[in-house]
Amino acid sequence: MANGTLSHEEVFENLRLELRRGCLTLAVLTQLRTERYGYTLRKALSDDGLEIDEGTLYPLLRRLEGQGLLVSEWREEDKRNKRFYRLSETGKTVLRQLLFEWGRINSSLERILQEA
Amino acid sequence: MELLESYLKAVRRYLPRRQRDDIIAELSEELRSQMESRQAELRRPLRDEEQMAVLKQYGDPMVVARRYHQNRRSLSIGWELVGPELFPMYLIILGLNMACALGCTIAIFLYLHQPIEIGTLARVALIQVGVVTLTFTILNLVRRKFPQPWYYPPAELAPMIPIAPWYSISGLSVWALFTLWWTLVPFAPRLLLSSAASSLELAPAWHRFYLPILALLLLGIAQRAVNLVRPRWSGLVPGSRFLINAIALGLQYPLIKSYPYVLVAAGATDKVHAAQVAANFNGLILWGVLSWMWIYHLVSVVIYAWYCAPYVRRLFKRKEARIRFTQEINGVL
Repeated sequence: MANGTLSHEEVFENLRLELRRGCLTLAVLTQLRTERYGYTLRKALSDDGLEIDEGTLYPLLRRLEGQGLLVSEWREEDKRNKRFYRLSETGKTVLRQLLFEWGRINSSLERILQEA
Repeated sequence: MELLESYLKAVRRYLPRRQRDDIIAELSEELRSQMESRQAELRRPLRDEEQMAVLKQYGDPMVVARRYHQNRRSLSIGWELVGPELFPMYLIILGLNMACALGCTIAIFLYLHQPIEIGTLARVALIQVGVVTLTFTILNLVRRKFPQPWYYPPAELAPMIPIAPWYSISGLSVWALFTLWWTLVPFAPRLLLSSAASSLELAPAWHRFYLPILALLLLGIAQRAVNLVRPRWSGLVPGSRFLINAIALGLQYPLIKSYPYVLVAAGATDKVHAAQVAANFNGLILWGVLSWMWIYHLVSVVIYAWYCAPYVRRLFKRKEARIRFTQEINGVL
């Protein structure tokens, strides 16, 4: 037992989720440089090795849209109405900043890990 | 796609009001795409069980919907008592219970032409907070320790979901223990009255209601035992519980009218003290148990009637299909 209440596995799981949360946002924003709808976005992420369940993806898309980073529209494709998402102008700017930050953190981490 | 529609209806119930239509349209599209892609793999339409597997993987409707709420409040005192998924339901149930219990208590005061005591109202409110919070804390703990996709399947989908063995076993254990206690109380009043058993005795009301209540408890045990062996007979749960709660609800009025439930025994040495203890016991049974039990039974009757409806509908559909089949055969012959 770590910290008296959570087991080692629970602590790991909490930290893993924390780590993943930020990465998922970055991955979703990056994928949405190209317009997609939910199902194809999830497939694209999954094909690149990042599994995300629908229950997490759709609320995340709504949150990002609410923050003005995405825009969406309902359109018919294959005789079915689908909601397509893409980056907004603000989203593009924020993504550039986030990618820069990601690169900075990543290179710092690599240096730290090499030293270790 | 009847199952999908039922699932979406269940999710919709818990969604933020203003975004309901939009979210449901998107969820519907996602789930249809998943089902179609599975159909393409199998090269045939999906059976009910296969559709259920897709829905189950998507998750409990309540949990799915809660993820769309920005305000994810929870109840914790250092550790989590009620998590964000259950918290809105906790508030609704607590509010309903509190309103019903306080309203009922005030009504009883008025009926008995007694002044309304703030202390009694506070005690009733505290009991509600305690009981509801404890129930939700246990529920929350079970959800965290044993995560599984469906704890409260929507009524429309319940006929497709077998009863989990842990559900039958835990219910059977609790029900059996309570039934055993109830069976023994008239023979060993100490089980109810503890050390006061030497100066108090059970009132005649106790003996009048003993057998009907025992029969209801045994019916509850029988349902759980049958579902342990036959988990697919899921209709037995709402059916039997509707019946049990309806009968129990009918017993509430004569039970309340049968006050007092405990009397001072003829052989009590200190009769004044015994009368005070008896008054405490009677107050506890009347105010602490019976004054709100009817609310529980009434809510249960409504909920289980709701859960019975899809079974009744399926029964009618099967009957209609059988009639159509017989007519077609007769036409051919």
